[in-house]
Amino acid sequence: MIKSQNTYKIISNKQVSEKFFHICIDAKSILKKIKPGQFVHVKIDDTLTPFLRRPFSIHRADSCLEILYEILGEGTKKLAKKKKGDSLDIIGPLGNNFSAPPEGTKNITIVTGGVGVAPFLALTDILKNKKYNITLLYGGRNSDYVFSLKSFLKNKCKVFISTDDGSVGVHGRVDKFFKNISFEDAFIYTCGPEPMIKEVQKFAVKNKIKGEASLEEVMACGIGACLGCATKTKDGFKLVCYDGPVFDLEKLDFNANGKCKCK
Amino acid sequence: MNLKVKIGKLKFSNPVTVASGTFSYMKEYSSIAEIKKLGAVVAKTITLNAREGNPSPRIVETAAGMVNAIGIENRGADYFIETKLPELKKLGVPLVVSVSAKEDKELISLVKKLNKAKGIAAIELNLSCPNLKHKTLVAQDKYATYRVIKAVKKATKLPIIAKLSPNVTDIVLIAKSAERAGADALSLVNTFSAMVIDIDKRKSKIGNFTGGLSGPAIKPIAVKMVYDVAQTVKIPIIAMGGIMNADDALEFIIAGASMVAVGTANFVNPSAPKEILAGIKSYMKKNKIRDIKKLIGSIKKG
Repeated sequence: MIKSQNTYKIISNKQVSEKFFHICIDAKSILKKIKPGQFVHVKIDDTLTPFLRRPFSIHRADSCLEILYEILGEGTKKLAKKKKGDSLDIIGPLGNNFSAPPEGTKNITIVTGGVGVAPFLALTDILKNKKYNITLLYGGRNSDYVFSLKSFLKNKCKVFISTDDGSVGVHGRVDKFFKNISFEDAFIYTCGPEPMIKEVQKFAVKNKIKGEASLEEVMACGIGACLGCATKTKDGFKLVCYDGPVFDLEKLDFNANGKCKCK
Repeated sequence: MNLKVKIGKLKFSNPVTVASGTFSYMKEYSSIAEIKKLGAVVAKTITLNAREGNPSPRIVETAAGMVNAIGIENRGADYFIETKLPELKKLGVPLVVSVSAKEDKELISLVKKLNKAKGIAAIELNLSCPNLKHKTLVAQDKYATYRVIKAVKKATKLPIIAKLSPNVTDIVLIAKSAERAGADALSLVNTFSAMVIDIDKRKSKIGNFTGGLSGPAIKPIAVKMVYDVAQTVKIPIIAMGGIMNADDALEFIIAGASMVAVGTANFVNPSAPKEILAGIKSYMKKNKIRDIKKLIGSIKKG
């Protein structure tokens, strides 16, 4: 019943670090429709394990559909075993996209951690030609979480890396870099673990910097039908799949999420 | 080949529909041509006043299924009638509106609002959502089931479909009560009350603490319930519970269901209803069954 559901062939599926994989999918018919920040909803195979589709941020949509993914559970474990020539049933592109920075913006800061970096390659593909100073702050748990960010350097980003255990880059979290960055005429994009986005929001609100965050949530349908991926915002519950995944950073209401009111 | 089925005076072009809360008509995504082929469309449950829904996480994947606790998030009856109904009517498929309420009075006002709206084929009474803060569900008490259906039948001329809960000792008793009260059909079954625990945090994985299990995991239990009820009541049954493909749907029809509703499968494969209808047709062709009525409840014993 969905217009944008299709089966595509895998071009390559490579390991980029211990926990991360990069897959290229021959999805020519949708490449031009894709906007940075959107996602695709992938049926890994025809079995009941995993039962649901898996939503993935679109890493890049240039010559093929690229997804950067982290091995987290049954779905991604199975996806990592897929080979060139195998097919994937994909719905997408879905969701909204990152907006262009407001007029007058000079400094763009991307704050991201782990696999949250995924949607920003597509974004910087567009922003690199527009005379912004782009800084990418990347945080990982340990060295497994740090892989080549060369494509971001090619996209004219200044890259700063931190790890929780200090094994690569600066020891600590990405917010350590905040004091060294120019936040004048600035705009922030962020995606990653919720505690990180929460910190970024706090910093942005305090310093009156506007920005956008891309959220991750467990999804069933991915198209706004099941209402399963609701997240609390200052305007009430919004669906990550349909109203998001990109939200105005200051509108997110983290304190309300995940709290059990009933018992 | 005759695929037509009847519920009371209502005629449906075929037995395939969608379960409430699993189908949402979105212009930018939906293919109207395919929706038009369905026997009926069942909209997500509405309440008289808007409900915010449950805190996240609202869904957890489980073995061959999922547990959900959405909490009937909806913007209320007036919003539905003004905004959603005109769009759903345009689909040109018989529309079943699912309703729920905390108390009888509220339910009656809601039904009366729907009486005035045009383009509704039937009302499904959701007496069995496990994710609201009731101590017992209406559908867990045969007297309450009787009382509520009787009151709603008095308030409307629209056919009433009672959606029952599988979380009962004997669903047949509740089904009989619903039939006696005048229900025109039964929807069997809603989700199974369920929990999923995060062992690291020792907390529930569901924002609402508990939820309802759906998907193929519940199918064999749902088939048995449909079979048991079909042996006892005369009103038609709309079956749901883990239907993923035509074979699953046929099991329910052979067990005694007149219609089958595709639910959770929509989330995984949005083309499931279309494929299921095509599969039922090819099964009938292969087995030289000219009329679906010959198939309904055709299970052989011994």
